[in-house]
Amino acid sequence: MTTFHLGYGTNGFANHRLDDALRLIADLGYTAVALTIDHHHLDPYGEHVRAETDRVAGLLGRLGLRCVVETGARFLLDPTRKHHPTLVCDEPERRIDFLCRAVRIAAELDADCVSFWSGIRPSTVDPEVAWQRMRTGVASVLAEATARGVRLGLEPEPGMFVERLADALRLHTDLDAPEPLGITLDVGHCVAVEPMNAAACIREAAGLLVNVQLDDMRPGVHEHLEFGEGELNLPATLAALTEVGYSGIAAVELPRHSHAAPTVAARAIGALRAALVPDPAQRAEEREVEWVTQVDHPWLVDAERRVRADPGTIATLFPAVGRKVGRAALRPESDQQGLVHGTVDDLARTRLLTVLAEVLDGDTLAEEVSRLYRYGDDAERRGVLRGLPALPATIAQTGLEIVKDALRANDIRLVAGAMGEFAARNLDAHTWRHGVLKCLFVGVPLAAVADLDRRADSELLRMVADYAQERRAAGRDVPADAERLLEVRS
Amino acid sequence: MRIFDPHIHMTSRTTDDYEAMFSVGVRALVEPAFWLGQPRTSVASFTDYFDSLIGWERFRAAQFGIRHHCTIALNPKEANDPRCREVLDVLPRYLAKDGVVAVGEVGYDSMTPEEDAVLAKQLALAIEHELPALVHTPHRDKLAGTRRTLDVVDESGLPPGRVLIDHLNEPTVAVVADSGCWMGFSIYPDTKMDEQRMVAILREYGTDRMIVNSAADWGRSDPLKTYKTGLAMLEAGFDESDVDKVLWQNPVEFYGQGDRLVLDELPGFTASGETFAGNSVLRGGGA
Repeated sequence: MTTFHLGYGTNGFANHRLDDALRLIADLGYTAVALTIDHHHLDPYGEHVRAETDRVAGLLGRLGLRCVVETGARFLLDPTRKHHPTLVCDEPERRIDFLCRAVRIAAELDADCVSFWSGIRPSTVDPEVAWQRMRTGVASVLAEATARGVRLGLEPEPGMFVERLADALRLHTDLDAPEPLGITLDVGHCVAVEPMNAAACIREAAGLLVNVQLDDMRPGVHEHLEFGEGELNLPATLAALTEVGYSGIAAVELPRHSHAAPTVAARAIGALRAALVPDPAQRAEEREVEWVTQVDHPWLVDAERRVRADPGTIATLFPAVGRKVGRAALRPESDQQGLVHGTVDDLARTRLLTVLAEVLDGDTLAEEVSRLYRYGDDAERRGVLRGLPALPATIAQTGLEIVKDALRANDIRLVAGAMGEFAARNLDAHTWRHGVLKCLFVGVPLAAVADLDRRADSELLRMVADYAQERRAAGRDVPADAERLLEVRS
Repeated sequence: MRIFDPHIHMTSRTTDDYEAMFSVGVRALVEPAFWLGQPRTSVASFTDYFDSLIGWERFRAAQFGIRHHCTIALNPKEANDPRCREVLDVLPRYLAKDGVVAVGEVGYDSMTPEEDAVLAKQLALAIEHELPALVHTPHRDKLAGTRRTLDVVDESGLPPGRVLIDHLNEPTVAVVADSGCWMGFSIYPDTKMDEQRMVAILREYGTDRMIVNSAADWGRSDPLKTYKTGLAMLEAGFDESDVDKVLWQNPVEFYGQGDRLVLDELPGFTASGETFAGNSVLRGGGA
């Protein structure tokens, strides 16, 4: 049982009428909504804002949706500058006024809170000055919030002045911990910029959490992704919310997926439900994962010891891994076949390779790795491919030969394993592009391709566009990953 | 009917066969390493073949919801070629693999001294790797060859319960029944055994240690012969549990003696016969 309410953000339905969006969200089984007030969704500057607010409150009540009010509208205050003005710019008055309007709307909607961020600090504004502006601005909005009995959720946002959870907590302390001021936490941001994982951030913020945004992300990249496409451990994150007794709204935040909103929202709730109520088989798989990663599976520990004592034993231990520690996908809720995140046996084989690299050097190591791949079955070959990033640079040439061999294969697990970090770092542009195209071609999710954002170039986009054209000419569907790649980049 | 085909050479078969097999209930199979029609001339072509048995063919079968296992060995026919015998040195690597459920096919072709040595050596490998052995009986001089095979098995020290003597028929079944080894029968359209004769043998000898396979390969053969034998058993008055014992439980018990069988349903598999990109197999060629 969850203590919190699953919701979806209306900024992910930007191409829908608000009423349609709310109905779709409720129909999919969400019990909450994160309402981004915007020029087309309950415009706070609209002529009939009070009547409209009443009407939306009625609709939310009929649909059984709780709500939070989000204030991240892009061009509501300034049609030419995204998010402008902010609390930290030279003239923050209009932002403060907007936030106060949001507070009044939230009071009438009986929303859990108004969520807001600091904005990007202009390079001309000193950090000290920005900090003062935050203090003053938040204090003004707090006055309105206190008067209306509405809570505020300050959201750390990558690239903004208040960027990390620690910054937000410091401001909270600096303002003498005013009662209405809480924290909005986007769990994807945790993956992107926080020094700890989302579950740890949730525990850190615990008592101050008034709003949670759910999405996936990759480390260092502020791009809101569907669950399973990034590095977020969704089950552990949701378990942490339950653990800290969070009782507010946790709403999916996918503002760049409006073009396919109903499908994306359906997929999201499926992933959330799977992550919340793992079936017994999944729990067993999770235990297997734990054995390998944390508790240390006794067979693996012994195997590591044997390889350390006699590196030759890896020839018989490497094939036995699956039988001994299991073969389950590491993140079955979003990656059933382990194409993106790998499997328990992949992880165990990486550990054996790591030990092998400690005891063998240079050419000897390269030769053994090459033999393990050459005589490996499908799982062992995948284990070698996924272990390559853990090996020293001296095996780079051998690694390249192995990756190129795997990219000639038609087993999708080998193709997926080949396009990991090692390929991202070492593969020449031509081979790498063909690897990406092959992934699209055989159905490997592009989430399996490491560093896609950094390495994708115009030639790759041309190839993907031609491929999409060829599919259309034949009257066939274009893989969603191909469309997304072309869309994000165009 | 759930069917485990304990001997079939899928390398020689098409995806139509996989679909037809799934549709009649085949959920698992064993592909023994054997000769390929065209004689091989080097160890490298053996290792490529073994790689295919533990790699591509397993993957291909999984596309159709069928768990693929294999046995690995130097077959008796090619044991006579000195260019091939060096493959014995690489067998231990393959015998350690997942999904390699036995040493096989070993046995006799022309009963030469070379075949004697290679058979004995590979039965020793089965003991060393704690695996059962699949033993092929010769096409020519079959009864004498079967008796000699049983003698070599006896000398090897491998318990008879870990040995399956295959391609038996009416003249050869009795000696194997007495030996304690498992009895394998290949049901063919023209040669070897047929369904009706198989049913008669089951009536006479019972269903214990009895194993039925299609041994389908690149010759005239039929991958549905296991299923057709099941039907013939039912028509002849055997009940469903007898059929399940012969077509599923027995091969599972025999090959399960190593720890390499994987029989759970394939993840995400649906029997809808979906294809990818219009291709019947994920092969990445022109869509």
